[in-house]
Amino acid sequence: MDAVETMNKARSAPADTGKTPLIDIRNLRVTFPSGGAAPKTVLKGIDLAVKSGEIVGLVGESGAGKTTLARSILGVPPGPGRIAGGEVHFEGRQILSLSEAEFRRLRGRRLSVVVPNPRAELNPLLRTGDQIASMAKIHLGVNGKEARRLALQMLRDVQIPDPERRMDAYPHELSGGMAQRVVIAMALICNPAFVISDDATSGLDVTVQAQILALLTKLVAEQGSAMLFITRDVGITAHFCDRIAVLFSGEIVELAPREALFLEPAHPYTLMLLASFSHSPRLRDSWSVPDTSRRRELAAGCQYADRCPIAQPVCRERRPPFAENGPGHFARCHFPVRHG
Amino acid sequence: MRILAYLAKRLVFVIPQLLGIVLVSFLLVKSIPGDPAVLMLGPTATKEAIAALRQQLGLDQPLYIQFLIYVRNLMHGDLGTSWQTTRPVLDDLYQRFPATIELVTFSLLLAIIVGVTLGVLAARNPRGWIARVSDIYGLSAGALPDFWFALVLIFVFYTVLGWAPAPLGRLDVTIIPPSPMTGALTIDTLLAGDWQGFHSACAHLVLPVLTLGLVNAGPILKMTQSTMEKMLESDFSRYEVLCGVPQNLVVRHALRNALPSVVTIISVLYGFLIGGAVLVEIVFAWGGAGQYAVQGVLNADIYPVLGFVLFSAIFSLVVYIVVDLIYFLLDPRISN
Amino acid sequence: MNSKLGLLIRLALIRPRFTIGYLIVASVLLVAILAPIIAPYSPTEADSQNFLQPPSAAHLFGTDNVGMDIFSRAIYAPRIDLTIAILGTLLSSVIGSSIGAVVGFYGSGRGIRVWLSFAIMRAADVLQAFPIFVFAIALVASLGQSIQTVVLAIAFVNAPIYLRLMRSQVLSIRSMRYVEASQVNGLSDTRTIIRHVIPNAMAPVLAQLSINIGWGIVLTAALSFVGAGVRAPTPEWGSMIAMGFQNVVTGQWWPSMIPGAMLAITVFGFSLVGASIEFLVDPSKRRELLSQARERRGHAGVPMEDA
Repeated sequence: MDAVETMNKARSAPADTGKTPLIDIRNLRVTFPSGGAAPKTVLKGIDLAVKSGEIVGLVGESGAGKTTLARSILGVPPGPGRIAGGEVHFEGRQILSLSEAEFRRLRGRRLSVVVPNPRAELNPLLRTGDQIASMAKIHLGVNGKEARRLALQMLRDVQIPDPERRMDAYPHELSGGMAQRVVIAMALICNPAFVISDDATSGLDVTVQAQILALLTKLVAEQGSAMLFITRDVGITAHFCDRIAVLFSGEIVELAPREALFLEPAHPYTLMLLASFSHSPRLRDSWSVPDTSRRRELAAGCQYADRCPIAQPVCRERRPPFAENGPGHFARCHFPVRHG
Repeated sequence: MRILAYLAKRLVFVIPQLLGIVLVSFLLVKSIPGDPAVLMLGPTATKEAIAALRQQLGLDQPLYIQFLIYVRNLMHGDLGTSWQTTRPVLDDLYQRFPATIELVTFSLLLAIIVGVTLGVLAARNPRGWIARVSDIYGLSAGALPDFWFALVLIFVFYTVLGWAPAPLGRLDVTIIPPSPMTGALTIDTLLAGDWQGFHSACAHLVLPVLTLGLVNAGPILKMTQSTMEKMLESDFSRYEVLCGVPQNLVVRHALRNALPSVVTIISVLYGFLIGGAVLVEIVFAWGGAGQYAVQGVLNADIYPVLGFVLFSAIFSLVVYIVVDLIYFLLDPRISN
Repeated sequence: MNSKLGLLIRLALIRPRFTIGYLIVASVLLVAILAPIIAPYSPTEADSQNFLQPPSAAHLFGTDNVGMDIFSRAIYAPRIDLTIAILGTLLSSVIGSSIGAVVGFYGSGRGIRVWLSFAIMRAADVLQAFPIFVFAIALVASLGQSIQTVVLAIAFVNAPIYLRLMRSQVLSIRSMRYVEASQVNGLSDTRTIIRHVIPNAMAPVLAQLSINIGWGIVLTAALSFVGAGVRAPTPEWGSMIAMGFQNVVTGQWWPSMIPGAMLAITVFGFSLVGASIEFLVDPSKRRELLSQARERRGHAGVPMEDA
């Protein structure tokens, strides 16, 4: 993790400029149609704001709605899902109400996403150089030659070995780590204000993972962009996120500055998450095996009640408020864990 | 290099298959009742004359000898003689096969234009009205008997409106056919600089091409639509949308990825239509190869049938090989 | 099975075109059955005084060039066409899918059975490489022209479709756990095939059946059209179209157009029914359709959780 450390030093202190956040997600709700019954609500009113230059971590287990959130912010929820309500304010505009053409011009230009499993996401029939260059051509309006020059520069920036040759490579000729670098190049080539990294390093082996993370955070810091860093691994967020949100079953259950989250977690679920990150196998098991049999959607009450070791009857009846327990430290729990 | 290795492998499989096809058709046509010798000489012929002719034609030999003789002659480029036209089958086919290929090729072009366009538009908006029209078109085009649809077109455009020429062949009777170069009249008339002939050839093509093109656009439409829908829902198309790529470009890229499936169905149709166009050939008195083969079957004239089956099998084969070569060009994952 | 029937009815209601398909097929069957009662004239007797009469009150669809009543012939025709197509298709599905099931079941592994499977598949390749129509005519011609041989020809040219379909189904089902389990439990191969493999593979075969009956009708008519199938004066759509063929050019459209239209509508009906069965057997298609239908009704009645 040396690379991450050096990068962290390179980053200036979290920029706390201005009162209005760069992006402000308000009560975002996404539903999926389901067989016969009422549509399933996958995001149950997400509130999250990110200031410019800030890196916010978002942690959650698979199925919590991480990718749905990432894509819904860009107005393209996955699969048959649809945005059922809420607003996303970005650079002073409510972007979810923009026309498709206007929104399209923001994607990849001002707001971009780094996707996981990039070898499936790149078009198998197009050369990587052309795919990167097309971003510049589409969004920056530069000609083909200039776009290729920018693409090549970007490949150098993401430290791909032998960038000239990789320009002409097809996606299937790249390793997973290289493909990940290509996708980062595509996300950053237009110098966006806000980058969403959607579990970008899952599926890579650990050393490559660390390199890619270091690279991503370094480039984001150099460009002065803000980032929403989505991951399953709460441990990673400790290295560079300014604030961390914990997503469970389509809800943010806790949101706190980095130190507060790791030192004084308030929500029992967060506690469990951190425990699983420890070296106790017993604790880790209780986290990593998702207990899907008991996971049912509760109309009212706390989503975590069925799995919560300290749940009380009230937890099943009333949805807990998203209460502030410390400066900038919120948790959605009737009985937040007290520390000290 | 890989292409050559592939072609060699392909040919190894092809020759037994061609032999199988020839053998099956040989046995099949041989078992059709009716003695060519009797049919050739007519009802008044004497027994001796018939026996002599049978011997001359090799009909008195056991079946397997007859087959071996046929295959041996085949090696020398001799496809036998049709007793109906009294000409070598090879000459007959040289004359008729281009007529069929010309008809089928133009029809397929129309089918591709209609099918791919509608398919792409329908996939772009799977719940729009074009998608609904395409669904119904796909279902009803498959239901249309082409020979009847041809009659409907003749009735409307020739009998009632008088826009189309009489459905009797490939040229007006008043026009002297150009000397055959390619056998395709549209090309030959152009090569000869015969504008009137070219115009007549095109006019005669309109109705049969409309018939076959509109009926056979159905499968192309369905394949384009379903593959395009799959491609537009695939990870890389969604990623392009997330990257703000304009919809037109996303669709164009998806179409490129969908092309192998579309090309496959087109190649299958091409091979199928060589024999499948026969009813339309009959309706328009086209004088094509399919019509020639059907006449052969109905009159126990074996060699035209065998020749036709062989020609169309080889034609399909060439088409499939060309298609495989197209795959090599289209998909970098195959070519290296 | 009952719930499937219910689902079928629901699908038919959501997509009116499926209802239309079932209505077409039902009415064609009804007309065929009731033909002797409905038909005002004999379908095979000619009134040589009144040939090529346009449609009128006396002859609803007019008369053909020998003076037979087209209405009576056209409603008798599905008796022949449907019988041939249904019998031929059933026969081909039975032959094709049973061979396909066996080939799929033994196709992987080793020994003589594998070679046999391989040979059968290559034979199917050869059959499918034939120009279908010429092959069918040749079959009918060599077996002797009759209704039975047309049935056989239809069965023969369609059999490879079922062979492949069943084989691929069996291959995918075969690898599933419960088939392996039943083999471990000591069920014989034959019983494994009958008990587990065939019932699961039946659904797509059924969808194919309805579509193929449509094709069968067209093929029957096409054979008769070139004079290799059912012979006049037996009432049959294809031969009726052929009889009126020359008259179309001179303006008497009814002898050809009417039976042709009935033929096309019938085939359309069968392909609609086939498409509806496809929806029934394909869960993903079904889900999409049901959710589309809900969306069209609007979200009004759908309870939303509170934020």
